[in-house]
Amino acid sequence: MLVKHKKSIWYEFYVIDIAKGLFITMRNMLFAPNVTIEYPEVRRNYSDRFRGMHYIKSVNGVENCTACMLCPTVCPAECIHIEAGERPDKEKYPVKFEVDLLRCCFCGMCEEACPKDAIKLSNIYEMSVSQRTVYDKSYLAEQRGNK
Amino acid sequence: MPKCIIDGREAEFKPGENIIEVAKRVGVEIPVFCYHPGLTVVAQCRMCAVEIEKNPKLQTACSTPAAEGMVVHTTTPKVVQNQKAIMEFLLINHPLDCPICDKSGECDLQDNSYKFGSPYSRYTEERRTYLDLDMGPVIKKNMNRCIHCTRCIRFGDEIAGIHEMVAVKRGNWTEITTLNSKELTTEYAGNYADICPTGSLTLKDFRFKKRSWFLKKTATVCEGCSRGCNIEVQEDGNTIYRCIARENLEVNKYWICDEGRFNYHYVHDSARVLEPATKGATAASLTSTTWEQGLEVARNVSAGKKVVFLVGSDLTLEEGQQILDFAKSKYTSAPVYHFGTPTVKTTQEDGEADPILKMKSKTSNLNGMEKLGIKPFDPSFTGAEVAIVFRGGRAKLPELKSMKRIGVGVFNLPQVESYEAILPSLSFVEKSGTIINFQGKEQKLKPAIRPLGQSKAIAEILMVWANGGKKA
Ligand code: SF4
Ligand code: SF4
Ligand code: SF4
Ligand code: SF4
Ligand code: FES
Repeated sequence: MLVKHKKSIWYEFYVIDIAKGLFITMRNMLFAPNVTIEYPEVRRNYSDRFRGMHYIKSVNGVENCTACMLCPTVCPAECIHIEAGERPDKEKYPVKFEVDLLRCCFCGMCEEACPKDAIKLSNIYEMSVSQRTVYDKSYLAEQRGNK
Repeated sequence: MPKCIIDGREAEFKPGENIIEVAKRVGVEIPVFCYHPGLTVVAQCRMCAVEIEKNPKLQTACSTPAAEGMVVHTTTPKVVQNQKAIMEFLLINHPLDCPICDKSGECDLQDNSYKFGSPYSRYTEERRTYLDLDMGPVIKKNMNRCIHCTRCIRFGDEIAGIHEMVAVKRGNWTEITTLNSKELTTEYAGNYADICPTGSLTLKDFRFKKRSWFLKKTATVCEGCSRGCNIEVQEDGNTIYRCIARENLEVNKYWICDEGRFNYHYVHDSARVLEPATKGATAASLTSTTWEQGLEVARNVSAGKKVVFLVGSDLTLEEGQQILDFAKSKYTSAPVYHFGTPTVKTTQEDGEADPILKMKSKTSNLNGMEKLGIKPFDPSFTGAEVAIVFRGGRAKLPELKSMKRIGVGVFNLPQVESYEAILPSLSFVEKSGTIINFQGKEQKLKPAIRPLGQSKAIAEILMVWANGGKKA
């Protein structure tokens, strides 16, 4: 059986609660610190360990990578494609080095597996593109982010 | 049988067997470098040293035959200490090359270092390095990685029958090289790469193509000659990267020749016909077409004519039988002949081409074709207007000037430009089947890759050929 409780008219119309709610809203709007930023004018500083777009590290203009294939081996998304070759100044180097960022899950395992400190994840997080792009070696060699 | 005890396990052995082999049988692994079951024992690396009760010193398991009542321990502190010391000693001058070394992933030095060595090195002095001279078209040498096990020297000496590899200088500066720095001449050079326990001798053909751990392996049989060596075909992404020898003591022991090792290249040849192709009524050259049309042309060309069937002796027994049945049911009384090596028409003419492995017949199933009752083809044969040629990829095509020709099987375009129609079929790595080698041993082919292009099995082609076409 339904029991009907008698309530005061103030309570029926929620006047006090609306006022309370508005007060909280106004307090947050006017006095609370901002949690959002005005991207893209203002940008956030991420931690150094942030895992963003890959880059290939070079020393004196020579890429560190020796095409050992440990990163494609460890990559859970299978998004790294490397072809190895030989050239006079370097016994083994990557002729092709492609990362399909759309498949990448930014786990950072490639960076961890690399014995040559060659593949790194930068702080770059702006990666939206209008069509599927596979980043090649020359592009990845230029991407440094803030590292 | 006499018995000994290895790590508490009772092991039976044949007199003369060494401890390593006996231990392997009861599941005890003893690390080795210089020992190879197919070569003489030199007991040089000392990695296999084990403790034998009532023996004051460690004994090398490779050079010690098992004896009745012998009690062997392979994991005592003394043995482990020796293994650690040997590993450290071998790695003193070893470069940290694994990322660029093709042996990586299947390297005895890597594996043993991981299992028995220490992860740290105390060596800080400069490492010894060598300059590497070219060793010919098959083998790439990198002496910095060598551990001086002399397996390569013994292989040349004992198996390939040519003493090409030698050790020069002494002690720390020992260098393994060819005599007078000449190129390797043996036709079995690929085995150097197989037996070298490190990456000092690697295949040029395989250099930097793939890391070994990506390769999927299929145990099959070589079709290079009538010996039928046991091989392992290694593939990734439906592309074959390498063939290596597989142990079979009755056929090829542990070895294969270079011809067989690199034979698979024709499978991926860009000139291989992978789509049905026909010569239209007007066109001078073959153009690709559909299976329906290809078969239609084949049917029309051969309909009502005198037909001869030519079966490559590189095909399997099953395929041979299917062709025989097809010839009998569809082209009554059409003769069937086999072809393959022009100089070796029968198994009587076959024989050893060298004292190691190679046989004179350059196709694998000559014996099988004879067992099926197929006669050899005589090049002067002129009793037919149309020849239907079945070929697996190695049989040498006979000249058939006066006949119209239809090819079923594996062909390269330049070979078959004058043919009326080509119906692509499978090579030895794309199909299963049975071949009979010169000893009369039946061996099985196993498919390592999926059929390339539009090629189909001969059974399927013949089935559609016989049953398709115009409906009655
Ligand atoms: S971050 Fe992870 S998923 Fe992305 S490429 Fe590296 S290993 Fe692959
Ligand atoms: S792990 Fe490093 S050195 Fe090896 S292929 Fe990847 S980027 Fe190159
Ligand atoms: S020989 Fe073995 S241990 Fe030496 S670099 Fe090659 S893979 Fe590494
Ligand atoms: S080249 Fe290889 S097989 Fe020859 S001695 Fe050196 S490590 Fe042994
Ligand atoms: S394997 Fe026994 S000493 Fe080398």
